[in-house]
Amino acid sequence: MAAGERVAVVGASGAGKSTLLGVVNGSVPPTAGGVRVHGGDPAALRGRELRRLRARTGTIHQHLELVGPLRVVHNVNAGRLGSWSAARALRSLVQPHGLDDVRSALEQVGLADRMFERTDRLSGGERQRVALARVLVQRPDLVLADEPASALDPALADEAMRLLGELAADRGGALLASLHDPALALRHCDRVVGLAAGRVVLDAPAASLTLPELEAFYGVVR
Amino acid sequence: MSLARAARSGGPADALPASAVHAFSRRTLLAASGLALATTLAACGRTSPVSGPSDPSGPLRIGAIPDQDPEVLQRLYGIVADALSGALDLDVSYAPVTDYAAAVSLFRTGDLDLVWFGGLTGVQARLQTAGAVPIAQRDIDADFHSVFVVNAATGLTPSDDLALLAGRRFTYGSETSTSGRLMPAFFLREQGVDPDGFPGGPGFSGSHDATLALVASGTYEAGVLNEQVWTSRTAEGAVDPAVVRYARTPAYSDYHWLLGPSAVDRLGEDLPDRLTDWFTGLSADDPGDAEVLELFGAGSFIPTEAANYDQIEEIGRDLGLIN
Amino acid sequence: MTAVLAAPPLHRDRRRWAWGLGGLVVLGWSLAGAGLFSGPVLNPSGLRQFGRFAAAALSPAHDAEFLRVLAEATLVTVAYAALGAALAVVLGSLGAVAVSRTTWGRRRAGWTAVRGVLAVPRGLHEAVWGLLLVNVLGLDPWVGVLAIGIPYGAVTAKVFADLLDEVPRGGYEALLASGAGRGTAALYGLLPQAAGGLLSYSFYRLECAVRSAVVLGLIGAGGLGYQLALSFASLRWEQVWAAVYALAALCVLADVGGRAVRRRVAEPRSADGSRPARDRVLVVAGLGSLALVAWSWWFLALSPATLTSARTVDQLSYVLDAAWPPATEGDLLTAIGSAAVDTVQMSVIAIAVATAGAVLLSGVAARRPGTGPARWAAGLAVRLILLLLRAVPPPVWALVLLFVLLPGVLPGALALGVYALGVLGRLVAEASEEVDGRPRAALRASGAPPLGAWLYGVLPALGGPVLALALYRWEVAIRDTVLVGLLGAGGIGVLLSGRIAAFDWAAVTTVLAAIVLLTLAVDLVSERARAALR
Repeated sequence: MAAGERVAVVGASGAGKSTLLGVVNGSVPPTAGGVRVHGGDPAALRGRELRRLRARTGTIHQHLELVGPLRVVHNVNAGRLGSWSAARALRSLVQPHGLDDVRSALEQVGLADRMFERTDRLSGGERQRVALARVLVQRPDLVLADEPASALDPALADEAMRLLGELAADRGGALLASLHDPALALRHCDRVVGLAAGRVVLDAPAASLTLPELEAFYGVVR
Repeated sequence: MSLARAARSGGPADALPASAVHAFSRRTLLAASGLALATTLAACGRTSPVSGPSDPSGPLRIGAIPDQDPEVLQRLYGIVADALSGALDLDVSYAPVTDYAAAVSLFRTGDLDLVWFGGLTGVQARLQTAGAVPIAQRDIDADFHSVFVVNAATGLTPSDDLALLAGRRFTYGSETSTSGRLMPAFFLREQGVDPDGFPGGPGFSGSHDATLALVASGTYEAGVLNEQVWTSRTAEGAVDPAVVRYARTPAYSDYHWLLGPSAVDRLGEDLPDRLTDWFTGLSADDPGDAEVLELFGAGSFIPTEAANYDQIEEIGRDLGLIN
Repeated sequence: MTAVLAAPPLHRDRRRWAWGLGGLVVLGWSLAGAGLFSGPVLNPSGLRQFGRFAAAALSPAHDAEFLRVLAEATLVTVAYAALGAALAVVLGSLGAVAVSRTTWGRRRAGWTAVRGVLAVPRGLHEAVWGLLLVNVLGLDPWVGVLAIGIPYGAVTAKVFADLLDEVPRGGYEALLASGAGRGTAALYGLLPQAAGGLLSYSFYRLECAVRSAVVLGLIGAGGLGYQLALSFASLRWEQVWAAVYALAALCVLADVGGRAVRRRVAEPRSADGSRPARDRVLVVAGLGSLALVAWSWWFLALSPATLTSARTVDQLSYVLDAAWPPATEGDLLTAIGSAAVDTVQMSVIAIAVATAGAVLLSGVAARRPGTGPARWAAGLAVRLILLLLRAVPPPVWALVLLFVLLPGVLPGALALGVYALGVLGRLVAEASEEVDGRPRAALRASGAPPLGAWLYGVLPALGGPVLALALYRWEVAIRDTVLVGLLGAGGIGVLLSGRIAAFDWAAVTTVLAAIVLLTLAVDLVSERARAALR
């Protein structure tokens, strides 16, 4: 993937989209082959090196994996734990640090008024936007997004994808998103990669694909 | 269980409650830790309600094995402490103790300086505490007795034949009581009765009063206690009519005052002599002294020495109560 | 291979039947051991003595001097409880890190070893710790604080670690994936989710610490239990009851406070999300606890210097020298073996009595909003009786029951049973409050009588939680048998108090080791049984 590139991963459930993202952020060891991320191999690194690499990769998980009992502000700040010392992380739980960044991130996703709410009191769509805000404050070079728009209405979904794309582009980074919605993939991504049973079956620039073609692909693999 | 409760009341995991950390702001945390630190410092000047300070100029701390009603002990030793303090120009304080072994331990650790021990506990304490010296005993302690009592329902009549007690449910007092355990066990064995062989094993009521109550209830058919306690309870009319005196043991040496080494270090080499002189000098003719003597049930105090308790030590070793 | 695949689906049920039958056999064996089938166990002629104890409940001592002494003793007990619980929470938090699966990951051997080490402080009752500490520290207030803090700390470490290990790991893993270290990831991803449980449990420990502080008094460490022991030794029942009432009042206070905090933690208020807000109840509880700990420290005049003073070191080396190597004579080991059997039998009878009683009373003891005043009054009365049952320390129950029972295992077992009923009765009542009320209401609506509706609509749902609570309480009871034994009511505690009274430290070591092994074995059996019944 090139800097600034936005890639959509498409495929049926079980095709290996989440696994691919997991291998890239180093939480799933590859069974064969390997990946290079920011010039390093997450499966080969340990300790501080691995953490430094991971801090440059922001992930929006399929099940979000937010911490329910924490307030929104802390869940957003949790995106920065990779660059914070333990003492700072502890202090921030008492008196939140970096409030301005958090507020602006939450404003971008339209949740500024819920900053001090407990996260488990938010609706599914609102939580998805909190996860988005977490990646916004992390400022990673590579954004991995596993179904980042699945619980959002069409307008918000577009907005979320736009934000993720901008985030990647601003920092000369890249976006790798698994998407269920072919229209969204074509609108917001430069390149589409199709997976079936763990193998790449499609790899084409988004511009070369039409919506019916891609829908047909979904139909085929389904 | 509490784990289950906590999880239950917390409901499903993702609805678990807010972080405790949120309950405190930085300022309140600071204030609270400041408060804690301040009180910690302040505590240095305070005397704890549960112990006396062991500073060099501290008072002479007296104690006693809890062989009687603690309230009587408190009154008795309050008077002794006052009299001692007046006569020897010392600070004297009394600390009550809940069991026999604790009195021995606290004597060893130096929490108690001068303790009124029974024969056996006195030997235990002396053997564990190098430099402990016997100070005085009462005139009656050289000639002390225990009484065996039975529940009237057993139909037993007073006799010297302890063998008749062998098949009965039997209780001693405290495990290391000289008059409630050690010497009775010795005399039982002399008459061919296994002191541990009572049906279901012997009971240990914990105190002379509890022995009386348990024999009165019939839970135990027979028991043994300090003759002095028996006599005074009988005089008070506090003994249940169901309890009958059965036998009296031969005489043996019992109670004595024992002084620990740390008091000698703190209060002077001549402390043992001054204490012995004061105790043996108490006279029934002096109204103040007479009160002390009466409370102890003694005509006078007499000097004593370690050798007086050699027999007790030997029996104690025999019964596995001294190591 | 086919045989394995064809394993009958009834497998789990068989396991339950085996455990159930096994339990009944053990209960029968224990009752036989207590002499229930081999002659009289009652001593009716002691009813008069028992009556004196019971009658004194109506006329507790209340002269000014005694009340003043009692008030000071109550403060000492509160201070012990607060500092003991605080120490337990600190030790427990550190220990939890050391024993949680999160820390050890897949290194099972290390995890097992650390858990094994924890079994030693956990296996010994607070009173035993107190007795040992008195021999080293003398009359120092540290005795009470450490005697509560050490065993509670070990229990707390285990519970805290389990709470942390039970938290869903998604949030934690996600933070690791974004580059957080393990410590910070746990701080943000695990701790907040476990915090409610941790806080609840800490307050629950404070409630328990109040009762433990009283027990420590019984062995001479000061406070309410100490006054109680002094009055108890001379059988002044009016004073004993006054102390019991003071203790009951303390328990109610701790209970009400703890409940308020736990309820708030379980169901936090919703707040306006746009600005930071803190829950006032929790802030007050938190600051109040800190203030209480600070006051307790000041009141007891604790001095850390005593812990390292020359005297402490001397006494510690004196006891350790005498205690090692442990005694291994055949006589002692035989005595330990038979005392261990007594101990198990006592604990089994105690739990059987307590469980049966708790289930029978739970219908009345449970709070049910919306019922009439008669039902409300009956519930209150039963809850007060349960409170008194657990406020009277087991050794007092043992002596009092000894008036009306013949000597043996039974008085001690029933004393523990009555005490455990006080605790279990409340827990079972609370569990039954949480049972879904609709099935019962449906049965009532179709004309079932109250008892029938309870039997069919509530009891089946209550079965699982009650058995789990009973098994957990059994683990506690086996430790408590040592306590009643210390004061003479049978079992391995009798042996321990005998060896301590004779200052036979080598034998004390052996007996303590036996107690730790016994409690460990009971914990394992109980854990297995709970897993099978789950």
